[in-house]
Amino acid sequence: MTTTWLSLIGHRFVLIPFCLALTAASWNGYVSLHDGGLVRGVVLGPGGAPVAGAKVSMMEKNFTTNSDRGSTRTRADGSFEFTNNRSHNILLRAAVDGVGRSEQITVRLYFRSQNVTLDAPLTIKLDAPRND
Amino acid sequence: MTANPHRPRRAAARRKHHWSLHVGLLAVSFFMLVPFYWVLKTSLTGENIFVYPPKLLPNDPHPFYYVDVWYLIPFARYLANSAIVSALAITANVVFNAMAAYALTKHFRGRGLIITLLLSCMMIPFQTTIVPAYLITGKLGLLNSYLGMALPTFSTIVCIFVYKASFDAVPKSLIDAARIDGLSELQVIMKIMIPLSASAVATNVILSFIWSWNNFMWPLIIVRDPNMQTLPLGLSRFLTYHENTTGALYAFCVMVLLPGILLFLMAQREFIRGLTSGATKG
Repeated sequence: MTTTWLSLIGHRFVLIPFCLALTAASWNGYVSLHDGGLVRGVVLGPGGAPVAGAKVSMMEKNFTTNSDRGSTRTRADGSFEFTNNRSHNILLRAAVDGVGRSEQITVRLYFRSQNVTLDAPLTIKLDAPRND
Repeated sequence: MTANPHRPRRAAARRKHHWSLHVGLLAVSFFMLVPFYWVLKTSLTGENIFVYPPKLLPNDPHPFYYVDVWYLIPFARYLANSAIVSALAITANVVFNAMAAYALTKHFRGRGLIITLLLSCMMIPFQTTIVPAYLITGKLGLLNSYLGMALPTFSTIVCIFVYKASFDAVPKSLIDAARIDGLSELQVIMKIMIPLSASAVATNVILSFIWSWNNFMWPLIIVRDPNMQTLPLGLSRFLTYHENTTGALYAFCVMVLLPGILLFLMAQREFIRGLTSGATKG
């Protein structure tokens, strides 16, 4: 009787779906522990120094449209934080009024609202002088 | 007993033959698998498939197109719909086809005519029966429902004959013994025939799953609610996007293909045995 149960549990039609279900459950557990919607990063100036008070804008990227998801200001150490990201594909850009702005970067996440700290800083580039 | 002097030479010739056979099979497998590889590679890179010269190895692969597919369209909903419809089709095929096949193993008047009729029905394409099928489904009140989507795939003639070939191999004495023990015809099917026809069951499961999973035309006709759409209908929705969705489209293809491939790999042995049983005598 025990052998029958063991052979049934070890059968590939039981074992493979069980492994898949276990993987899915583990992944969902991991997602539920890391989906706070936090996006953290740093903004640096052209010289490499942290920039305080820079405006960082976040947009949500879809197949056909980009939706504005708000903005925040950097702290004294140049760091910024969004706490309300609900997407898996966002665009970030930093700007300092009258100085310049960074390139827009795409941040792709493995799941929606994944907590993430950017590897690379957003670097402000000086606006080209206008010849009026 | 004396050793055959030709044996080593024959064995060497056989080995050489096997070696060349394997090389040939590898070459055929390569050409068969290249499209699958290309779909997988494009789903990981999003490269335009018309790029020239084509790159064999993926450049900077990432899984984010799969994430796009999961979130930007209601993939989980489509997956659940397809799984429900396929489960209904598989259950019905395994049960109804076994009953039909068991009846065809009996000798009765008109049996040949019924077999001929079934075989000739296989030649009628489904497209020609769509209008009556739609009207019947509508009269039954099953439009826009899971049962309605699965109904035309509830029994397939090929699968009936797969069962029949397997049932024909079961010794008559076993069925007679079961009857003496007091089993009804339905119990004979469920307790004797189906357990002895594991390969035919696997073939039925795989074929009905693949046909139901890939069914596009019938769900397109009877489904009106976007929440009831199945994966093939969701796949066609991608073609309506004007943006470049190459990577996501191919990721979607992989995600649609994966359950079928997995099921086939799991039941491959039984599937092949089920298709070939009854093909040879002795």
